[in-house]
Amino acid sequence: MPDWYKSAMNGLYAVLVAGVLLGLYVILMTLNKKTPVPEGCENLRPDCKACGIADCAVRVKYEEKEGANLK
Amino acid sequence: MTIGSLFTILIGGMLINNIILARFIGMCPFMGVSTKLSSAVGMGIAVIFVVFGASVMSYLLYYFVLVPLNITYMRLISFILLIASFVQFVEMFIKKTSPSLYKSLGIYLPLITTNCAVLYVAIDNITQKYNLIETMVNSIGVPAGFMLVLVIFATIRERLSGNDVPKAFQGNPIAFVVAAIMAIAFGAFAGLV
Repeated sequence: MPDWYKSAMNGLYAVLVAGVLLGLYVILMTLNKKTPVPEGCENLRPDCKACGIADCAVRVKYEEKEGANLK
Repeated sequence: MTIGSLFTILIGGMLINNIILARFIGMCPFMGVSTKLSSAVGMGIAVIFVVFGASVMSYLLYYFVLVPLNITYMRLISFILLIASFVQFVEMFIKKTSPSLYKSLGIYLPLITTNCAVLYVAIDNITQKYNLIETMVNSIGVPAGFMLVLVIFATIRERLSGNDVPKAFQGNPIAFVVAAIMAIAFGAFAGLV
């Protein structure tokens, strides 16, 4: 088998694996978002005041919902 | 592989090479979720669960997919995607099956997706060339050490919040001083096994 073929197949496998994992993530994320939050857990608030990461997913989600600032 | 070597991996991951105090990984939840003992326990349990699951899955992905296809250079991106997917799955599963568990752990699961400790353990298992059993033991020992330190730190911070701390040291500065003293104390475990 020529070298160019081997490296092309190698690249193809890499793209395929990344694509499958990315697809899996997107599917699971969509399913997770569609799953309703259990009763009484709608307003769970992260207790992470000391954390300084402004673009943290939890912080952004909470601020969008409540209009509050965790800082 | 003997029971002794497994015990060494467990104690090594938990105390000697503690992920927070010796490796300085997972500092965000260490500082962020250690203000209350209850939060620290919840976060610790969630981390143990996710690290164990994600590490075992990463191990299987690496040795059964990446190595046979000769694309081991893809391990970083593969592990990141796998961990993110696993956390989404766990969150969805807990939402459906156990609302009470979701109430106590649910809020910490999205935080764990960005926790570098999870990725560290998955990669460490590969670089150390552990087999599956050793991977499982290391994946319990390291997050157990994370939880141990988080809980100790939370109890100290709870007591500190009621004390008269000079204004310049209030909040994070005194927490870092405490963390430094804890790191020195944990340094005494070096050479234990």
